Amino acid sequence: MGAAHARRLAADGARVAVNDREPSSALATLAEEIGGITAPGDVSDHEQVLALVDRVAEEIGDVDVLVANHAYMTMGQLVSYDLDDWWRNVDTNLGGTFWLVQAVLPGMRRRGGGRVVVVASEWGVTGWPAATAYAASKAGLIALVKTLGRELAPEGIIVNAVAPGITDTPQLDVDARDAGVSLEAIHARYAGQIPLGRIGRPDELAAVVSLLADPRMSAMVGQVVQANGGSTRARA
Amino acid sequence: MNAARTAVVTGAASGIGRAVARDLTLRGWQVAGLDRAPVTDCPFSVELDVTDAGAVAEAVRDAEATLGPVGAAISVAGHYEMAPVGDISPESWHLMLRVHLGGLLHLSRAVLPGMLQHGDGSVVAVSSELAVGGGSDDAHYAAAKGAIIGLARSLAAEVAPSGVRVNVVAPGPTDTPLLAEDSPWRAPEYLATLPLRRLVQPDEVARCVAFLVEEGTFCVGEVLNPNAGAVI
Repeated sequence: MGAAHARRLAADGARVAVNDREPSSALATLAEEIGGITAPGDVSDHEQVLALVDRVAEEIGDVDVLVANHAYMTMGQLVSYDLDDWWRNVDTNLGGTFWLVQAVLPGMRRRGGGRVVVVASEWGVTGWPAATAYAASKAGLIALVKTLGRELAPEGIIVNAVAPGITDTPQLDVDARDAGVSLEAIHARYAGQIPLGRIGRPDELAAVVSLLADPRMSAMVGQVVQANGGSTRARA
Repeated sequence: MNAARTAVVTGAASGIGRAVARDLTLRGWQVAGLDRAPVTDCPFSVELDVTDAGAVAEAVRDAEATLGPVGAAISVAGHYEMAPVGDISPESWHLMLRVHLGGLLHLSRAVLPGMLQHGDGSVVAVSSELAVGGGSDDAHYAAAKGAIIGLARSLAAEVAPSGVRVNVVAPGPTDTPLLAEDSPWRAPEYLATLPLRRLVQPDEVARCVAFLVEEGTFCVGEVLNPNAGAVI
């Protein structure tokens, strides 16, 4: 999904720095394809976040738009869940976004505004069995977005979230493994629970990111846009 | 992207409806504008009251005959007044529900047969921040706007399997003629309470509508809230 966001923002006219935990040829190829740069680093590591945001600012300037799409997900029963792994979900998804927002804020303030788009999750709205860590991290992101929306809007820094429903990404491999079925079977199982009758495509979520990153619109503040084919139909 | 490029917009003569009609026109849609007042900048328009189901149905039939199959329908026509709950007359209550909820109901019944036949289409209802957060002296308005969300979400679940998407935009107080110059929503003390510190602009609501019509293809029964942070 992150690659789709990067391509969409580049098509919208942005110079995009693409992050992943490790440098890779895939990351370099994506950066080259969209005329951007790579900014590898582990976002759960505060020092690495500060360093990578500094490097981005040096190479292409202060950040106008932050899209926090990174995620780590495991599943398991609460009592037997490995505690270190449980916290890794939270510290990567929620903590990493927090470090990133802190790191880009001075630059956005220098620029007189900005956009932060956080990729939350349907499961952060509804909860999900065996996903306590992931759901907690994503629900925490939603509360963080609501708070930062209120806190930063007076400065023209507009913070919102998108909560994707089930989307066709490699993350579904985790679900398939947890359920002990094939990837195709998990796709079909999820599609059957969605009113639209199919799972989402990454480019459909990238379109939401594009809306929330649009510099011409700031009326959406602290909101959670749900794109899930109609599965929740609830206020997030 | 819808194959049918005709859009029907109610309340198209002013405010949000006019901004929506203009924005969709710029995006290449043929817009049929329905309003009680004359609509000047659409290729097809009808003067009508959206509380009149027959008139809405006839206007949609005529629009399809003139412009082609309707791929998008946006229910914007609205009515606003504030009153303490004890002072809301049966007539006021009735009118509020018929304009807002009836407007969406009548428009949906008119456009859905064609959309379902094509297996494609998008209906967008304009609700309000007050439907989500409520507010003092707005009981009948909030009830009508809240009912829109209930109707839209149920309809969304009903027609999504056929490829038709129904969604809602719930703006905060927006800078339109519906807000009188002396409206409390324009008061500096109120605006100071908004995280964004200003009224929503009609173009921002139109941007949300256009997103749901053209690009929000995985949004079903969703409510977008361009409300300046009034309700988070």
